[in-house]
Amino acid sequence: MKTVPIVPNLLFVALLAALLWPVAGESVPNHVLTVAVVIHGIYLLRFTCAREESSRSSAGDAAAIVYLFLLFWFLATGRFVILDKMLFPKPEGVLHLFVTELPDMLKGLGNSLILLVSGYLLALGLALPLGLLVGWRVRLFKAINPFTKVLGPIPPIVYIPYAIALLPSFRAASIFVIFIGAFWPIFINTVHGVFNIPKGLIDSAKVLNLKERTLLFRVILPGAMPSICTGATLALVFSLVMLAAAELIGANSGIGWYVKNFADFADYQRVIVGIIFIGIVVTAITWGTERIERHLLRWRN
Amino acid sequence: MHEIVIDSTSFTYGSNEVLRDINLTVEAGEFVCLLGPSGCGKSTLLRLLAGLSQPTSGSIALDGSPITGPGLDRGVVFQDYSLFPWMTAGQNVVLALEQAFPGKSKQEYRQTALEYLEMVGLADAFPKLPGQLSGGMRQRAAIARSFAINSPVLLMDEPFGALDAITRARLQDLLLQLWDQREGERKTVIFVTHDVDEALLLANRVVVLGLNPGTIKEIIPVNVPRPRIRKDLYLKEDFLALRERLVSVLHENILSELEAGQTMHAQGDGI
Repeated sequence: MKTVPIVPNLLFVALLAALLWPVAGESVPNHVLTVAVVIHGIYLLRFTCAREESSRSSAGDAAAIVYLFLLFWFLATGRFVILDKMLFPKPEGVLHLFVTELPDMLKGLGNSLILLVSGYLLALGLALPLGLLVGWRVRLFKAINPFTKVLGPIPPIVYIPYAIALLPSFRAASIFVIFIGAFWPIFINTVHGVFNIPKGLIDSAKVLNLKERTLLFRVILPGAMPSICTGATLALVFSLVMLAAAELIGANSGIGWYVKNFADFADYQRVIVGIIFIGIVVTAITWGTERIERHLLRWRN
Repeated sequence: MHEIVIDSTSFTYGSNEVLRDINLTVEAGEFVCLLGPSGCGKSTLLRLLAGLSQPTSGSIALDGSPITGPGLDRGVVFQDYSLFPWMTAGQNVVLALEQAFPGKSKQEYRQTALEYLEMVGLADAFPKLPGQLSGGMRQRAAIARSFAINSPVLLMDEPFGALDAITRARLQDLLLQLWDQREGERKTVIFVTHDVDEALLLANRVVVLGLNPGTIKEIIPVNVPRPRIRKDLYLKEDFLALRERLVSVLHENILSELEAGQTMHAQGDGI
């Protein structure tokens, strides 16, 4: 039995009414309208496809929150100007600008992603094998552990000014700080992942007389994978923070720079556009990494 | 051949003497159960046989040459964690086959693995992950793996300890049937358990270990003809007498341990 939920549909109608209400001298806010209709379309799709009552109602709740937010934003900035005009631009203006600024932002995103991917992959490529080795060799762990304890917790942001002074280009400096930010979470979690492999599994591998290579790739690596995934996700968050921070300080392109640059000109409309764009990008990245993680750990129920 | 000789072997872990002066000879093709309460060192003895630990003193030899480390001449089945959870049941067997018989084609490994899984009644489990199998099926797959590498010696550490009674009985029958299949080529099996009935059903000889430190208290031959049918065993006087004796040897141990515990409490130590 599917009952038609009242709250999200009612809010949607209220939002439409507010948007379409004729006001002399103002055109209909097309972009906000489009967003509202698209969201409702997605909601209806999820509502009809969902098998369980709970996922239907949570889809409704999410839609209702979005409508409420849009309604408030639209009314408080457009109809009854309660909020400061400069700091809180109208939704229609922001969304319109989002569309026109998209090509520029995508170009900036390209630059940012090159930095992010280089720094992150460098960290992954180095921290993962090192972590496996240090986790597996007790003596190496004992030698390295004190340094990990001192260097690991240093907030990577403090390296930025020095890295900019030290390295020849901004690009090299940001790749370096992203690398540092991503390295420790991956390294530390990989070491712990190796430690946390049940002793019984290691025994099982030993009695099969596995060669060191086979042992490392077919037992230690997959055994440590849950922890490695945790570290890699954490490292991604750190690299995003480091990327944004580096760009706020010293870049001349990229998405972090975009926000910083227009904030300097007090163009808060574009600042909000930039933040929304970053939000969408980060969501896409997280969605992708979750897929990868689920695939790598599919053996865990 | 495949005779195992344990010669005045002791094992000390830190300041804790786990095993003291163990002397035992296991004939080729024999089925021996190590029976004892938990903490008596029976699993430690099995680890020494598997080559996962080295004795503090004494020596263990297989076919006259001392055991210095793990080897594929001994198959091992543990209570849990025998299978790698990230590989399917089939891949687990294939991995073992690759170690035991290197240089064959993928197709051959697959085929052999499938045969051994069929042998334990798991024909459909090849593509399944251990997480998708029941506890009994996992132990079947582990047994299939240990038979696939065709090692003359089989070491089992309470392999059915975590299973329910019916599954356990089925797997005991399966194990005996596999062991008995080719007479003259029987594997030498050393089976650790704390279950008296399990030991009596399976073993040619039961080695009872005592506590603190672990020593051999008694070696009891089980001269009951095979196949042993559970229902009939418990009707026979001599079998019941044997069971009674085994239980009393085992309990002697447990009672003296409990008494030691009580004295400590009387002195107020454990509070």
